Amino acid sequence: MTGPREWIRYLGLGGLVMICLSFLGLAAWQLVQLVQLERQMRISATENMIWVFSQTQIEALNLALALSEGAAPQQVLTRFDVLVSRLTLLEEGPQRRFLEGAGLSGALSGWRNGLLALDPARGGDPEALQAHVTALVSALRSRASQVMSEEWQIQAARLDRLGHLHRLALVSVLGSALAGLGLAVILIDRERRLMWGRLDRLRAEKLASDLEREREISENHRRFADLIAHQLRTPLAVIDSAMHRLTRRGGGPVTAELISEKAAVSREAVARLVKLTDTAMMMSRLERGGVLAHLSAHDLRELVVFAIDEQVVAAKDRDPSRIRQSLPSVPMVALCDPALTGEILSNLLCNALLYSPLDGFVDVEVSQSQSHIICRIEDRGSGMSPDEMVCAFDRFHRGSGHETLPGSGLGLTLARQLARMQGGEVTLVPRSGGGLTAALSLPREVSV
Amino acid sequence: MNLRHGALRAALLAALLATAGPAAAEGVLLTLTGAVRDGRVELTRADLEAMDWHQFATSTSVTSHRPEFRGVLMRDILAEAGAEGTSVRATALNDYVVEIPIEDFHRFDVLLALSMDGVPLTPRDKGPVWIVYPRDDHAILADIRYDMRWVWQLVALHVQ
Repeated sequence: MTGPREWIRYLGLGGLVMICLSFLGLAAWQLVQLVQLERQMRISATENMIWVFSQTQIEALNLALALSEGAAPQQVLTRFDVLVSRLTLLEEGPQRRFLEGAGLSGALSGWRNGLLALDPARGGDPEALQAHVTALVSALRSRASQVMSEEWQIQAARLDRLGHLHRLALVSVLGSALAGLGLAVILIDRERRLMWGRLDRLRAEKLASDLEREREISENHRRFADLIAHQLRTPLAVIDSAMHRLTRRGGGPVTAELISEKAAVSREAVARLVKLTDTAMMMSRLERGGVLAHLSAHDLRELVVFAIDEQVVAAKDRDPSRIRQSLPSVPMVALCDPALTGEILSNLLCNALLYSPLDGFVDVEVSQSQSHIICRIEDRGSGMSPDEMVCAFDRFHRGSGHETLPGSGLGLTLARQLARMQGGEVTLVPRSGGGLTAALSLPREVSV
Repeated sequence: MNLRHGALRAALLAALLATAGPAAAEGVLLTLTGAVRDGRVELTRADLEAMDWHQFATSTSVTSHRPEFRGVLMRDILAEAGAEGTSVRATALNDYVVEIPIEDFHRFDVLLALSMDGVPLTPRDKGPVWIVYPRDDHAILADIRYDMRWVWQLVALHVQ
């Protein structure tokens, strides 16, 4: 799946991560350097060699002045002490290191011991002391500029280093920013690709499901065509046989009774054909979305009675008196479309009669629950196995052992679809004592 | 050149003051003036030795090692002198002058050190008394703003 382009992208990503990490490393190193530099500059601020050195110079001059003006011995001693303390300071750690760095420690060493050897407190020779101090003043004066230059050299070197670190910091910030930008671009690109991939997959899924639907429809049409052809054949054969009998030569005279009998047979066959085409047309309209439920309040008892009457009119060969009604005395008002509900009831009644033995009763009762009006139609046929029950509502399914009976295999499918359009449902459950109970439930009218 | 002359004049003046002032009187190590008992308190070495001594080792800005300092706490000295104020102006033998908030002496154990590494401080080094901060005990003290307050060769404190 990973092509060369993919590999290049991965390499780019890895490279950018490495660049980011190395710039982070650089920034960490700079931080350490800056902390060190800051510490050095703090210490250096404390050292302040220019001040220390100039103080020494001043104290040397003070002593020289006191000696030349013949000041009181106590005053000379104080100036002497202070000058010695300054020279002591110059010989101590940080100051000595600085002077060594500037190459001045040699030129300045020995002066303190020279002074102490001429200590006025111990009766040192004032004239020799004056000469020594004069020489010290001259030595300090000639070194002062060197001390200053050394201190500023050090400061300038530190400032250079600081500037260098600042430039490096700028480079690492810019580098990190660029690498981060690159990373962001790659990540956004990946995200975009993922999204396109997801869209493509969705599109493919939709195409596949469309194709599947088309296949199903096409398969349905084929099966429907087969079924219709098959179901058309039987009534047509019945009609043909009746016509044949009536026109057969040598079969004796055609009596009025025979004509009447054959006409009845033919009419029933035609009625079956009409019913079949009605169902097919209804199914077709349903599939096209051409059926709309116009819901209004209707007493389901009336619709049931009407459907039973229709059966009585339509069914000549079967005894519709087998239908036993058990209707309550109060109205059972459901919110439904009367035409669609009539279609459902007619289908369910037709099935019940068709699958019952000729002498078996069909019981019809109407009741209500909290939310629904329910019409139960019980037959005493052979019933269904649980497996059959599962696919009873599938399109073109025919009850086993009943393939020879007339029917489209669409009745229950149609009934359920029409019920659902009205917010209702059609269910099948085994009847205790054999046969099936088909139940149509429709929502009750909500009384305002 | 002007600067140098200025410094020279200041030094001369200081020298004159040092001779004329009683700070140079025999045995007096530290003179407190200003808002102290009777406006002036003079402390001799004996006075200081009679007080509680403390000690600690700390790094300094002018030495490489960590010397061990011994001496009297600054706050004890101010209490001894009955000082009432918010700051002291410390003056050194060489006329180095710096203002120190008295708060410092209560926040930190600031020492008026009389000896370093067991050796008494002398005017030829940084003595006889040196204001020493416990620099290693508080990170904030390792700073030039506090290093300025380490007055060596201290001779006078003016409380205000």
